[in-house]
Amino acid sequence: MENKKVWFVTGASKGLGLALVKRLLNEGYSVAATSRSISDLNKAVNDDSDRFLPLAVNIKDESSVQEAVEKAISTFGKIDIVVNNAGYGLVGGLEELTDDEARDNFDVNVFGSLNVIRKALPYLRDQKSGHIINISSIGGFVGGYPGFGIYCATKFAVNGFSEALAQEVNPLGIKVTIVEPGYFRTNFLSEGSLITPKNQISDYQNVRDAQNLHQNNLDQQQPGDPEKAAAAMIKIAGADDAPLNLFLGADAYDLAHKKIAEVKNELEAWKELTTSTAF
Amino acid sequence: MNNKKVWFITGASKGFGLSLVKQLLDAGQLVAATSRNQQELIEAVNTQSDGFLPLQVDLVNESSVSLALQHTYETFGRIDVVINNAGYGIGGAIEELTDKETRQAFDVNVFATLNVIRYVMPYLRKQRSGHIINISSIAGIAPGTGWAIYGAAKYAVIGLSEVLAADVKSLGIKVTVVAPGAFRTNFLTPDSLTLTTNPIADYEDVRASHSKYLKMDGEQAGDPEKAAASIIKIAGEANPPLYLLLGGDAYNRALTKLDALQSEIYEWQDLTCSTDFEYDLKSI
Repeated sequence: MENKKVWFVTGASKGLGLALVKRLLNEGYSVAATSRSISDLNKAVNDDSDRFLPLAVNIKDESSVQEAVEKAISTFGKIDIVVNNAGYGLVGGLEELTDDEARDNFDVNVFGSLNVIRKALPYLRDQKSGHIINISSIGGFVGGYPGFGIYCATKFAVNGFSEALAQEVNPLGIKVTIVEPGYFRTNFLSEGSLITPKNQISDYQNVRDAQNLHQNNLDQQQPGDPEKAAAAMIKIAGADDAPLNLFLGADAYDLAHKKIAEVKNELEAWKELTTSTAF
Repeated sequence: MNNKKVWFITGASKGFGLSLVKQLLDAGQLVAATSRNQQELIEAVNTQSDGFLPLQVDLVNESSVSLALQHTYETFGRIDVVINNAGYGIGGAIEELTDKETRQAFDVNVFATLNVIRYVMPYLRKQRSGHIINISSIAGIAPGTGWAIYGAAKYAVIGLSEVLAADVKSLGIKVTVVAPGAFRTNFLTPDSLTLTTNPIADYEDVRASHSKYLKMDGEQAGDPEKAAASIIKIAGEANPPLYLLLGGDAYNRALTKLDALQSEIYEWQDLTCSTDFEYDLKSI
């Protein structure tokens, strides 16, 4: 019975995570949901059913993640779908962002997801089933956005480990999907969510322009509906034919095709040099 | 090469880095080269050239990187080409590698590259010229089984390179990311490759993939000297590529990957394009 599936969703107090958790609870699924703050999470989800397990988790911390996974297992008996959704945006030139600012973005967007994967997999391997859904971004495949260097690097990394993970767990009955949303109308670009560098350098006018565009023109004008994104994820979760890559939004669809064409053209243009290096 | 350029190359005591440094010095170029161990670097390069500046640098340490670049600039008066080459391979299922091992791989393969970029940019911006060449891998486009963390780090290098190119183009600075296939360096030897010390029996395919790679050591099709020559060639181009793949294997693997991805995107088009708000169509 499909509705008995157990979900583990990180970063659930807002954005796509929140939309997903609410929809899952409405549709009768059991959901363990994580957030840094359990009161934020409870307030946002506002559901007192015993199918909802809110968990305060610092996903940067392996032992906090381990405890959360164990709690989900002891409460619901299993985990079927893991959604690594927690993450945040960072806009600034590579030179403007400090080592600390860069690492913090990787801590949440990359190492946090890896902590969840590392701690959830023993249970999924035991079950010989499960589906790990990693929320990347169109910025995990297309890097041409000035100012989003670290953010794109984190999301490219998510794509990279997800593709390899799919190969390593496929023989064990476990699926992996990378979800790559375009612009969705969440608070992703809003003040307090999108982080900007403390040290801004005047040469990077194009980075400031990108920052202003995202903060002032695109925020809350995004074409993507988070409710529909949640529905799309639920649709593919656990499906036998679930894709490895699921782009979300017509914008993401167009950008992905454009990027593939550009890379292919460049590969072709430099093919002679590329293939001149064998002994 | 018509004129003398100043090169800054990390991870120069072996592999591509060493081949690059030797070829450049032979061609009369000015080369600042870094290694964790200056003595090893001097012995490996083995030159009397005045154009060689060997630097002992801990790339994960920002002040060490900053000092090395300052030293280079003070010695040669400018910096033209930066090659972020230092890196190492790490193998294991995600679950078999600890958080610490994972982060160490990112330290050298990603955060060190970011340190160099952060501290070289003030010089390049002042010059309004320069070329940053980041060495990724074909694993940064299509990762192999059992190399998830290495692949993730190399994907990250490609991502940050693409954006950096967009960030600094208007400042007269170029960016290229190089994705080599299999080359006959010491990459597959214990000196450059770390494998998990915590293997889990379930991961038979990961073990099989690792044995296959290790068996390839010494048999790789790619000639590191030709790779170095190709990298030097693009550094002299007025319009260098953003992506430079090296090796027929890399070329084929990238195309296979892109074709598979493209097919998958077409296959899932309806679901992908089902998520926009309806009424937004007219406001665009």
